[in-house]
Amino acid sequence: MTSRSNSALLIVGHGSTVNSDSSPPTLTHAAEIRRRKLFAEVGCAFWKEEPSLRDALFLFDPESIREVYLVPNFISEGYFTQTVIPRELELNGRITKRSNGQIWKYCEPVGNHPLMTDLLLRRAHEIASGIPESETSLLIVAHGTDLNENSAAAAKREAEKIRALGKYAAVLNAYMEEAPLVSDWQKLTKTANVIVVPFFISDGLHSYEDIPRLLGIASKRSTRLRSAGRSTARQATNSGTTRGEIFQRNPHKIAGRSLFYAPSIGTDLGFADIIIEQAAKFDSEAYPDRAAKLIAKT
Amino acid sequence: MPSVIERALQAALTDRFHFGQILIRNTNGSFVLSHRDDEVRTAPQTFRNAEEAVEIAKYDDAGNYRPLKTAPNLRHGWRLELATLDELRRALDYFYPGRLAVFAAWKNEQLRITPLRETLDRQSGMYRIAAKISDEQIDNVVGNFCRSDSGCLRTILWKRDQHSTIASTKLPPAKFDPLQDQTTVLDGPGSATPATAIPLLCQEPCNLLVAECRKVVKGESQLSDAIPNAFGTATGEK
Ligand code: SF4
Repeated sequence: MTSRSNSALLIVGHGSTVNSDSSPPTLTHAAEIRRRKLFAEVGCAFWKEEPSLRDALFLFDPESIREVYLVPNFISEGYFTQTVIPRELELNGRITKRSNGQIWKYCEPVGNHPLMTDLLLRRAHEIASGIPESETSLLIVAHGTDLNENSAAAAKREAEKIRALGKYAAVLNAYMEEAPLVSDWQKLTKTANVIVVPFFISDGLHSYEDIPRLLGIASKRSTRLRSAGRSTARQATNSGTTRGEIFQRNPHKIAGRSLFYAPSIGTDLGFADIIIEQAAKFDSEAYPDRAAKLIAKT
Repeated sequence: MPSVIERALQAALTDRFHFGQILIRNTNGSFVLSHRDDEVRTAPQTFRNAEEAVEIAKYDDAGNYRPLKTAPNLRHGWRLELATLDELRRALDYFYPGRLAVFAAWKNEQLRITPLRETLDRQSGMYRIAAKISDEQIDNVVGNFCRSDSGCLRTILWKRDQHSTIASTKLPPAKFDPLQDQTTVLDGPGSATPATAIPLLCQEPCNLLVAECRKVVKGESQLSDAIPNAFGTATGEK
């Protein structure tokens, strides 16, 4: 994307009042994009953390920033992208002109971008490098029965796209709370190797504890931590070792199979590229005549 | 050209100034940041990268996650040295996200203030029920939840409703005055260090307060119980 001296990028995440791992990937991607100097300003805002979505109305100086690209750091469209973000940020559609003249461009959520497929493939390859793909099943895991996001459909779409490439012996979408269930992975797959990639924006209880438990690779200690309630730094430090370890101990050997478990896709540094591309895609769709200028130089 | 945010920060720059619980010392354009209680403390952990403020601000002294960065529980024992104004701005934005921009908007008379009732009435989903809170419950829950000594260091600019009713009669007048440094309520007798301060402004009730109002309506919060005394030295902010 060409650099814009009068444009800002706002990355909007969910954030959390209990999970300290929720917002860091969004902040990291913002810092990386800031470093590339593609936008005059790069900011973040969160539903559950600061700055709030309402604070975001004041983040960019209308004198110097004439347009703001708003990219939701979400896996899919849903309640937050369709109801909460437009309401809190007073958006009237894809393009909103503020009374101060600033133009806000509401881009699609990161998870919707076609490049997400490449990123999932790359992560799967990295986590199990040297393992023949033809003898490997790949599981893309989402929450399922999540009223707020259509992440189940998004995981299904990604699994279909990867399957169509014919690289892996099998590519499946699986869910924590609805069929096909993650906990059935041994029945769902037949290959000697299985790679599991959580299709989430950040790590947290789901990726550190719930999915490992469903896969049968959780340590007893991390199960205890869950009942401790609020997450504290001491727990995070203790369990951080435990939690980090779950990704270090690959492959997990279960019933003669090798299971490779990856961190949530949203922690991949490649997310920064996709956030930028999502902003570029907005312009190429809204102003097709300007599309030629939007050649990625990232 | 510096943005209004940089200009507002530049205008506030004195040799030493406070931003929430942070003391910023300015020597010829480079900056040393520390917890305001730590000015004379020796050999704390020293950092030199603005991004490290994210980790410093994440947990309190006891290691608990800090969901509200303007809560008066910034951890002690660190020192952050920054070479440029741009880095200072970034670091302050990690410590107190969005507060510099809101301060700049306020300075430029661009800040829009939203009353609590309007925020509550706008909610959907699980927070919709929060609008059922009574005026009396609001008076108490705000008085408890937002108080500077144990809740939050921001100066409240918003009113309870469109009739300009004060947000809570249980908080002292200083809580609503941007010229007052909220952190002085944390000082012991005689410990106040003279410094100018950039106020942490609250232009609209935060999501945490909305969540607390919801709990009150559902009978899951004790914070709406009456506070025995009105504000004053005995209970209010000390
Ligand atoms: S509503 Fe404002 S003053 Fe009260 S706790 Fe939230 S941020 Fe602090």
